[in-house]
Amino acid sequence: MNLNNNGKCENIEHISRRTMLKATLATGTGNAIANWGGLFNSQSIAQEAQKLGKRCILLWMNGGASQIDTFDMKPGKSTAGPFREIQSKLPGYKVCEYLPKMAQQVEKLGIIRSMRTASPDHPDGIYHMHTCYKQSERMPHPELGAMIGKYIGNKDSDLPSFVRMGPTGNAGSGYLGPRYEPFGIERNGNMPYFTTPYLPPANETRRNDLLRFMENESRKDNITDAFESHRVAKERSWRLLRAKSLFDTSKDWPKHQDLYGASDFGRGCFLARKLVEAGVPFVEIGQDNYDSHADNFVCHKANMQILDPAWSGLLIDLERSGLLQDTLVVWMGEVGRTPQINNRAGRDHFIRGWTIVLAGGGIKGGVVYGSTDADGRDVATNPVSEGDLFATIYTALGVNPRAKHYVGTRPIWATPEGSKPIKELLA
Amino acid sequence: MKEPGTRSINFEKSTLLWSLVWDADWVSAVSFVGDKHLAAGNNLGEILLWEIPEKPEALTESTSEKNKPNEKSERPSYQAPLPTRQMIGHSNIINRLICAENRWLISASNDHTTKYWDLMGTPSGTGTHVLNARTIEDANRNKNSGKKAPAPIKAEVKTQQPAKTIKGNEWIVGLAMSQDQSTLITGDDSGQVVLYDRVSGTKKKHWQVKGWAYAVAISPDLKQALVSERYPLVFDSGRHTGLKIWNTESATPLHDLGKEFKDMQISAGAYSQDGKILAIGRGGEGDGKIFLLDPSTAKKIRELSPIHQYGVTDLCFHPDGLHLASTGRDTVIRIWNIADGKMIKELGKPRGGQFKDWFHAISFSPDGTRVAAADMAGFIHIWQFGS
Repeated sequence: MNLNNNGKCENIEHISRRTMLKATLATGTGNAIANWGGLFNSQSIAQEAQKLGKRCILLWMNGGASQIDTFDMKPGKSTAGPFREIQSKLPGYKVCEYLPKMAQQVEKLGIIRSMRTASPDHPDGIYHMHTCYKQSERMPHPELGAMIGKYIGNKDSDLPSFVRMGPTGNAGSGYLGPRYEPFGIERNGNMPYFTTPYLPPANETRRNDLLRFMENESRKDNITDAFESHRVAKERSWRLLRAKSLFDTSKDWPKHQDLYGASDFGRGCFLARKLVEAGVPFVEIGQDNYDSHADNFVCHKANMQILDPAWSGLLIDLERSGLLQDTLVVWMGEVGRTPQINNRAGRDHFIRGWTIVLAGGGIKGGVVYGSTDADGRDVATNPVSEGDLFATIYTALGVNPRAKHYVGTRPIWATPEGSKPIKELLA
Repeated sequence: MKEPGTRSINFEKSTLLWSLVWDADWVSAVSFVGDKHLAAGNNLGEILLWEIPEKPEALTESTSEKNKPNEKSERPSYQAPLPTRQMIGHSNIINRLICAENRWLISASNDHTTKYWDLMGTPSGTGTHVLNARTIEDANRNKNSGKKAPAPIKAEVKTQQPAKTIKGNEWIVGLAMSQDQSTLITGDDSGQVVLYDRVSGTKKKHWQVKGWAYAVAISPDLKQALVSERYPLVFDSGRHTGLKIWNTESATPLHDLGKEFKDMQISAGAYSQDGKILAIGRGGEGDGKIFLLDPSTAKKIRELSPIHQYGVTDLCFHPDGLHLASTGRDTVIRIWNIADGKMIKELGKPRGGQFKDWFHAISFSPDGTRVAAADMAGFIHIWQFGS
């Protein structure tokens, strides 16, 4: 049984007699029933990870950005398309002409050009690239953000441990339970409508105190997961409301708009910087829509003109505020895009050789890992799987990628067996 | 309205004369140069020039296979001639080609430049083109498919440098010339719209639009210009489309058509020779609608039917001033009677599966007896109309 700092049993995490029975029953039928990922080794892993004080921002390119049109260009080849290369800050390394600001940040980037993944469509790809497990498995895997929230988050903070905005993941906290569910804010950065109290503050406080009292009384006789989930969610909501002002960027944004670019995504990146500075361990900001089966080039050109200032602005701002060395910034989507240009001037989904970029905390900058062949049709060297990527991310953040969890009686690891962190990218 | 000197054309009688093979990349632009030459550009920035044979050579069985565009396509009547000249200098997609004085070829490109080529000029070098290079490359790469690589179709060409280069800021997507050939208008993806003196290439007027300038056209009296705009983001408040008719003298909007054509990317526009009709076509992958407007009021006169499925790519008035040709992402050309809006002929056939290939551009020969289409599949098709 795990004890928290107060020496009290954590209902939300421990394996209760009831849960054990449930899981045993579940195993018999072949289905997994969550017991919120009861852990045997999570406390020590979390303590070690928290000491490092790392944070993570995921820039999610919803629909799947094209590697050939960004960081793995193939000039002169039939797959090249109309974008041209420009020289980056690092001699010999070139990027797309529509990423001129990122070209000045490449010394911070660890670029993986050899992603070879297993889920070619959107729902399964989004799930896989957020959890590092296939969606088809009978197991509710937690997203990266939930895992980071668990291991790095401060349980006593009023802030959520996992915030996301725009088009993002689809798995939630999975077997880790409701405590680590993402807190979603609207595409334009507004808080959800339900965060606006409809009573005056004094009445709201009295009302909540009464509800708390009732919950505690009820809890004495009803210790079940469902009641506990509800109570935890309520507590998180009340605490979040105390910290709500942090999400308001209206005063600061005009001063930062030039740096991040005047866009929803740019503003989201700025909010992400504010949140990690305030102690939120994981923030995901999504940019729509890279799913360019038609008119890939105008789509990517327009998107990159938003992405370039937002992403580079984020890296610059994190560096200026001294946060970059402890903040891992991940740029990825669920799939890459085909080298072949189809008859709609589009590129389709591609998983045989695509690109993901890491930067900041725990990552060695100015490194390109892996390669694709001359036309970009396949990985040529150092293929990287979803598990390898997550092992690299976890390692950079100080989390053991082989952390073991139990769902019922079934053991499950943070990354699939055989996953290896990419040492060449780790600082 | 019929131009003096133009022959009476029977559009309903048409014959596909040639399908010129050129599959290095998508053929993206086409223009007749007088009645006896044809120029085309592609996605690689290459421009080739063909001399159109006075006495076409009949297709033999073997050459018929080489020149067959696609099983679903019409079969050309004659053996395709080879190109004789290449215009060198562009390094990216040729978006538009036009011809002035039957002598000057003018091109707009994604390499941020507009270039002039003097066809009376002397070529400076020679080169060799394999016109079916992509087919060969694909066959060699997919050896397992069992398809044999065809024999190369080689063409020896004379190469020529541009006579003039005008630098822009971004991809120059829109290019058009006034009826009197005195003025060029360009529009680029930085939102710059520029009017040039066509002969000297000097800038006469320029203005900025909010989005990326897309389709452009200038009225025969030079007093107004059509500019469509786009900024094709999805699910983002930065998304933008627009359509305005501008006063070219003051560079201010005369008519804002943004509300009437809301969310439509207008990809093509053209004024009729007498300036009384402005034709516009919807691009992107939406329904390829074509509208005829009165330029003086910007009021819609009529909408043409049927649509080009998945978008219009080009519109071109016939030299007789009575007919309009349109093409799009359905690999057909439609000839319309302007007076009543009726379609009187459809050339070509839709190809592909759910989504079709494209014809990028069309051009009438100056005498109006022929029309050419730039086919993304690596062909330039030339049809002859009856008389």
